[in-house]
Amino acid sequence: METLQYIIRKLITGIPLLLGVTFISFMLMVYFGPDKTYELLGKNATQEQIDEIRHQLGYDQPFFIRYADYLKELVTLDFGHSDSTGEPVSGLLGRTMPISLALIIPGFVLGNLIAIILALTAAYHRGSWVDRLIMGFSVVGMSISFLIVIIAFQILLSSSYGLNLFPVRGWNMSTFGNYLSYVTVPTLATVFVSLGYNTRFYRAVIVEEMTRDHVRTARAFGVPPARLFYKNILKNCMIPIITRVIFSIPLVVISGSLLIESYFGIPGVGKVTFDAITTGDQPVLKAVVGMTAVLFVMAQLVTDILYRAVDPRVTLK
Amino acid sequence: MSGQSTAAIRREGLWSKAVYKFSRDRAGLVSLAIVSIYTIVALGAWGGLWATEWADVTGGKWMPVSSEHWFGTNIIGQDIFQRALFSTRTTFEVGFVVALLATAVGALLGAVAGFFSGSWIDEIALWMMGVLDSIPFYLFVAAIAFALQDNPYAMHVAMIATFWTTVARLVRGEVIKLKSLEYVEAAHAIGVPEIVIIFRHILPNTFHILLVQGTITFVAAIKSEVILSFLGLGVKEGMSWGLMISESTMEVMAGFFNNFLAASAFLFVLVMAFNMFSDALQDALDPKKV
Repeated sequence: METLQYIIRKLITGIPLLLGVTFISFMLMVYFGPDKTYELLGKNATQEQIDEIRHQLGYDQPFFIRYADYLKELVTLDFGHSDSTGEPVSGLLGRTMPISLALIIPGFVLGNLIAIILALTAAYHRGSWVDRLIMGFSVVGMSISFLIVIIAFQILLSSSYGLNLFPVRGWNMSTFGNYLSYVTVPTLATVFVSLGYNTRFYRAVIVEEMTRDHVRTARAFGVPPARLFYKNILKNCMIPIITRVIFSIPLVVISGSLLIESYFGIPGVGKVTFDAITTGDQPVLKAVVGMTAVLFVMAQLVTDILYRAVDPRVTLK
Repeated sequence: MSGQSTAAIRREGLWSKAVYKFSRDRAGLVSLAIVSIYTIVALGAWGGLWATEWADVTGGKWMPVSSEHWFGTNIIGQDIFQRALFSTRTTFEVGFVVALLATAVGALLGAVAGFFSGSWIDEIALWMMGVLDSIPFYLFVAAIAFALQDNPYAMHVAMIATFWTTVARLVRGEVIKLKSLEYVEAAHAIGVPEIVIIFRHILPNTFHILLVQGTITFVAAIKSEVILSFLGLGVKEGMSWGLMISESTMEVMAGFFNNFLAASAFLFVLVMAFNMFSDALQDALDPKKV
């Protein structure tokens, strides 16, 4: 009951954020975005036809009425049909969302898990060559552009100039074997790029926890290292770790895969949204932007509840 | 304000200590040297001393590495080495403008928000940061590029609008800590106006944060520039490593890697050096860093 009250209160305080994100995005992407009138008209259109199309698209309405209409669409989750293909927006997202998720989840999970393991190893051997080696590699990882990693991995793994093991581009999820062959190279690239930043962040968090008094005390009482790391250190580091992981989810879902999707020709949400911006497909844009904002508010809520779960001292107020 | 440690009376300040620490950090010095070399290359390209023929066709298609064309030529016979040198200038332009302005905006808004923490001014600043952080970056840039109608600075505007929030959050936290110290209280007591307290007594004490964040923002800006230029949202006029990589994707499929390798290597070495420089700066300025 207390938790439910908390959730409702938190959702209400998320409203200003929702309004801000939708307002700025609406202004930029829809109000100042590309004008579709003349693409939808035939040659030599009369003034009436132009007016009719503009009316259909809602261009003749004042700014705030259009924004209010958008908010109404957001609440009812009815965004209409895509201007470009005529497909219902919900159908379009329903089709592309699973592809993006299937593409990005393995890399995201592995990138964080491996980073935590490396960070623990580096922190355990703090100051020794193992630590310096791991941290050296993470600086190198941080310094290589994602774009270069994608192209290099593609040359090395999927072209005839390299090992030629995987398909160069495209997407196919019909069988698990197909899925694996298409997802491997994007996943390796994502893991490679995220490892550098993640390892550094997690190591800093872990080292800070290691220097606390309670860890020294536990060590003095002879707690074995494995137990010390799991129970006294890792568990106490969960709050910054959870924050980082959960807050990167909304961005990973929407735009994290944009570069991979456009480079590998994978029809996911990132690609669809990018195309919608460049062609001015407003219904799609409105849906994606609104969804991102909602995901952010949800992420805040979920982190707060998880804080409570990992640390009983946190109270939900 | 630094380098005064050689004065007759040896003072132990944040800056003199930082200079001493930095001068003993070998990786930091090497990275500083590399960044300086890049800066000279960029300045020279800007002043027209070298890389003046970057847009001219000076050889045949895909010529190999030779003494005339150090990195060979690209698909239409332009010299890759000159193009890579010229791109250095673009990179520094983007990095410098974005880092300077994003840090300035972040410092200003962060300081004001921190000083008035808990009031409506702080609430609005925090709300703005939350909103800007919640808009996916690449989509935001694409949208701004359209809203500004292909203005060549659309990319800069978008990066500044997104990158200032991190600086502002850090400065805000530091200002909240500083404003409860005795010297600020003393300034209040003798009737110093609030605006003077913020900008003369508090903000200069966050300068070490701004310096480190400035270098981090510089790196973020040049890395984003490459990806944005590749996507067709970034540099429109001139040349950049992102555009070179974008050109090279076709060449790579045909088995000619010079263009791709040159741009990647230039970018990697600069970003790596800058990251190490930033780390050394942090070590020198932050006694608590682990």
